[in-house]
Amino acid sequence: MSDAVIDQKTIAIETERYHHFITLALWLAAITGVEIVLIFLPVAPVVILGVLALLSAIKFFAVILWFMHLIYDARLLFWLFFAGLALAFATFTAVMVLFSSDRIDTKWFS
Amino acid sequence: MSQDAAHHAPTSTGIDHKKLIMWLFLASDCMFFGTLISTHLLYRKLYPTGFTDAEGHQQFVQKLFNIELTSFSTFILLMSSFLMALAVSAMHKGELKSFRRNVLGVIFFGLIFLGCQVYEFTHFYHQGLTIQNSVLGSTFYVLTGTHGTHVAIGILWLVLMYFYSFTGKLGGHVGALDVEVAGLYWHFVDIVWIIIFTAVYLVEYLGPSGIWGNGLPTIAK
Repeated sequence: MSDAVIDQKTIAIETERYHHFITLALWLAAITGVEIVLIFLPVAPVVILGVLALLSAIKFFAVILWFMHLIYDARLLFWLFFAGLALAFATFTAVMVLFSSDRIDTKWFS
Repeated sequence: MSQDAAHHAPTSTGIDHKKLIMWLFLASDCMFFGTLISTHLLYRKLYPTGFTDAEGHQQFVQKLFNIELTSFSTFILLMSSFLMALAVSAMHKGELKSFRRNVLGVIFFGLIFLGCQVYEFTHFYHQGLTIQNSVLGSTFYVLTGTHGTHVAIGILWLVLMYFYSFTGKLGGHVGALDVEVAGLYWHFVDIVWIIIFTAVYLVEYLGPSGIWGNGLPTIAK
């Protein structure tokens, strides 16, 4: 970056983040490994499903907070994104509940 | 205001417009993918029987999916996100060479991911799963294909940015912000895959016949 003077504070902040990113990448890889092992464990599927959902949520928020800088950035950006996320989740929940298979009348298909 | 928000021309929100519009786009894309994922899961619930191949044999998803390959491509995409974070960090520090090195890594990993997806689609097609012959095929190809298209657009964007960096115009805080916005897009592609990996692939392996079962859906009379 030839046309800019980078202050020492920025360099110090980015160097600190560099270590956070490495730690986070290792955690993300480890969690993915755990997910793959989990699906082969002889445990009730509903329990595994809950754990998988939790681990996915952890990975999801870890990426948006640190890799996407939401934790360092203006709060407004977080709430903007969260609004879209909440709408998506609400859509998912509504669709799954409304079209629950045991509530569908077979006459509807014929 | 945080350190990141302080490096741009004053705006009424205190946030650079490029970054703000990218976050708004990502929020809308969340709803887009939310709908696609919901549709796939809904139809997996209603039609859990998989699909019928060209010879008329019933095929089940659990035997079709290759969890090793998908896990590998998931790992690759996560690591590409890590490299993208390093590329953005390098630009903030003014280290252009480091930025180029990391962006090349992201592009390379992105291409590996796309290669895995092309291989997977080809394999599934030869196994008899097409976009037309089953509900599973329709929702699966549309969802993962849309994600793959996002990855391809991201790669194209980063390739252009890589070559643009040699013109000397990608510099200063404005250049760092441009890279950060591209990075936001790439990380979004990664987080969508985190959800797809669990909701589309991993759930098929829960229990002896997958979370959806192999039989016909239970329908109230």
